Amino acid sequence: MATYFGLDKFVKLFRILRNHGGIRASLYQLYRVDDLKDGVLVGEDVHGNKYYENPNLTLGRNRWVIYSPSVGTDYDGSMIPAEWFGWMHHKTDLPPTEIAPTAYAWQSGHEENTTGTDRAFMPYTTTKPKIEAWVPPKKL
Amino acid sequence: MVTTTTTTTAPEKIEVFIDDQPVMVEPGTTVLQAAAQAGVEIPRFCYHERLSVAGNCRMCLVEVEKSVKPVAACAMPVMKGWRVKTNSDMTRKAREGVMEFLLINHPLDCPICDQGGECDLQDQSMTFGTDRSRFLDQKRAVEDKNIGPLIKTIMTRCIHCTRCVRFGSEVAGVEDLGTTGRGSDMQIGTYVEKMFTSELSGNVIDLCPVGALTSKPYAFTARPWEIRRTDSVDVMDAVGSNIVVNHRTGEVLRILPKTNEEINEEWLSDKSRFACDGLKRQRLVQPMVKGTDGELQPCQWEDALVVAAKALKAANGSVAAIIGGLADGESLMALKDMVNQLGGEDLCTEEVLADAGTGTDLRSSYLLNTTIAGVEEADLVVFVGTNPRFEAPLFNARVRKAWLYNELDAAMIGPDVNLTYDCEHLGNDSAVIGQLLDGTHPFCQRLSAAKRPMIVVGSTVYSQPDLLAQLMQLAQKVRSGCEEGGEWRVLNILQRQASQVAALDLGYTPGVAAIRENPPKVLFLLGADEGTISRDDLPKDTLVIYQGHHGDVGANMADVVLPGAAYTEKPGTYVNMEGRAQQAVQALTPPGQARHDWKIIRALSEIVDVQLPYDNLKELRTRMEQVAPNLTRYGHVEEANYFAQATTLAKLVSDKGTGSVIDVPQKQLADFYMTNAITRASPTMAKCIVAVKKEAANKFVDPK
Repeated sequence: MATYFGLDKFVKLFRILRNHGGIRASLYQLYRVDDLKDGVLVGEDVHGNKYYENPNLTLGRNRWVIYSPSVGTDYDGSMIPAEWFGWMHHKTDLPPTEIAPTAYAWQSGHEENTTGTDRAFMPYTTTKPKIEAWVPPKKL
Repeated sequence: MVTTTTTTTAPEKIEVFIDDQPVMVEPGTTVLQAAAQAGVEIPRFCYHERLSVAGNCRMCLVEVEKSVKPVAACAMPVMKGWRVKTNSDMTRKAREGVMEFLLINHPLDCPICDQGGECDLQDQSMTFGTDRSRFLDQKRAVEDKNIGPLIKTIMTRCIHCTRCVRFGSEVAGVEDLGTTGRGSDMQIGTYVEKMFTSELSGNVIDLCPVGALTSKPYAFTARPWEIRRTDSVDVMDAVGSNIVVNHRTGEVLRILPKTNEEINEEWLSDKSRFACDGLKRQRLVQPMVKGTDGELQPCQWEDALVVAAKALKAANGSVAAIIGGLADGESLMALKDMVNQLGGEDLCTEEVLADAGTGTDLRSSYLLNTTIAGVEEADLVVFVGTNPRFEAPLFNARVRKAWLYNELDAAMIGPDVNLTYDCEHLGNDSAVIGQLLDGTHPFCQRLSAAKRPMIVVGSTVYSQPDLLAQLMQLAQKVRSGCEEGGEWRVLNILQRQASQVAALDLGYTPGVAAIRENPPKVLFLLGADEGTISRDDLPKDTLVIYQGHHGDVGANMADVVLPGAAYTEKPGTYVNMEGRAQQAVQALTPPGQARHDWKIIRALSEIVDVQLPYDNLKELRTRMEQVAPNLTRYGHVEEANYFAQATTLAKLVSDKGTGSVIDVPQKQLADFYMTNAITRASPTMAKCIVAVKKEAANKFVDPK
């Protein structure tokens, strides 16, 4: 009966709003990621990114990440660390919360892509310039 | 008194046949020269037009009809009716045999040899050599010699043509190179390890027909077929040597001489040849303006020009300019027009020249009037306060040539320097000039007996008006006793800077005394790097604009720096010390934001609201022609006369100079290498100075 009148949609909406922490938080979520999805929290990585899953959604949209609130809207796909990358891309169904990846001594921490930031790598020439310019001597 | 007039009739020409082609030649002509007249080139290694005949390579063997053996064409004078066959079986077999012998001990290292592509041995073995080898023995190897930082030796490649030895003893006048041993043990070398200490040493690189002597700075840099060549004019001294700038991908790789019989023949001084690496260092590549902190900061052209223009406008006519030794005629013209239009009158050159009555109004008082080639007709030359060996090496080579072949005698008033030929030293007291003038000096007899004497006045006398005036009178006095009814020009001024004659032609004042007396509000330095004016000579609020191509003394004291072009990077007019205008051709583009000098001045003039009325080189040269017509008659020596008038005016000079000792700034070879901003930036020149100073401590070397 409720389904007939479409009340289940409202029930779902309210559940989603509740899960996101109320109307205000949901609006912020909508502003931040343009989406409000209902899912199960699978785990959280060291950077504070939260990983969700909803098997009812279509493949490719059924696993998602909500980046750490600390980055605001300035998030990037490269913020997902290697151990969660496999689960996010369906390389495995076992998230690192279930089977933790082996930690080797030689591993370094995850680093996001720095393109477009001050820390971005810029290629530079290593050959000697053909013309050496005069640099005015500093007067002390 | 009976005078006998001997009419020397030209000796009758004789007829010879080169490959059945009849040629009329002078008696005493060699077979090789006769063949050249007929347009047939006989292969040779040791023969060179400007050196004595050695005849030791045997490559020029040719068949002469009715002669049993082939004859060496370079040394054999032709006889009447000889029939020379330069392409017969016998000739070809002789060449093939000689080639085979030469290649016995020549290494097969053409792929790593710097001479590859411009090697006479390579070319001639392809043309005249045999196509197979019969040689199975071990090749000889010779130890390489260290003869200085300019010439790289790979003595195994030497074919003992002795061109370098003959060049050293005949042209350069330095008996450093020689041969030791005989037969297959023969070696070219310096006997004991020492440097080839000559200011013309680089020419042996061009002379060497193989890769035994190559250029050290150019080693393994490029192949001749990769190089672009631009014929231009040298600016390292006032001789105006013709050069070929060899460049590739925007950098000068080397500089070679270009034959000009009237100036440099086919030689080039070491400074002109090897200072080209200075064009790549210490360059001004962007405009700079002094910031509030007193440091020069790079900026855009617009900012620099606006700063300069504001100061020029605010100066209200109190503008002066000093030009350096490397400025071209075009920028000199543009600068003069701009400064004059702004109301400034003090346009000075760094190089001084005493005012001996005439100032610079009469060209004859600042030119080498006899011309460089004219030395070969002279019979006595007196140098006063100059060391031509280092101030104009190729002029000195001419004097040596005339001394060697024409019985020219030389005398020197000044320090007793080694000029590479015998030179009578008349002392360094300036009183000698007065004694010569009033006829009390014993040398006067020689001077008056001379048919074609020359008095060459150098830079030291420039600052002493009375001496220059006395010399002018002396020259005029001597001149009346000359041949050709006084047509012979006695007085010669030896200039040192490439820009000087053009600047004086255009109306610049020699010396910066005017600026010192009357300091301007804005001082424009066009490549002035000799430090004739320092910051201490100027009031604190004077703005100094430096335009030039190297960061040197001038840029150091400037408030605004405008980057200009070096002599390889701009089309320019240079007038050499004999008054010959020549065109330098642009080989490269100026580096970075640097621009052609006259264009910078033209752009600046527009901002200062005194727009110069020329927009391109052609219009600018038309303007130059209006001011000094000789500046655009390229290649032509514009003669100067009015010696009599100059002498009359010189008699009025009473201005006493300072000092009674005549000295010259460049005495040793070490003083020769660094004389302008380009050479001071050149690592090769620095190495030369180090090597020459080290050589002075060599106990095996004759100190003279």
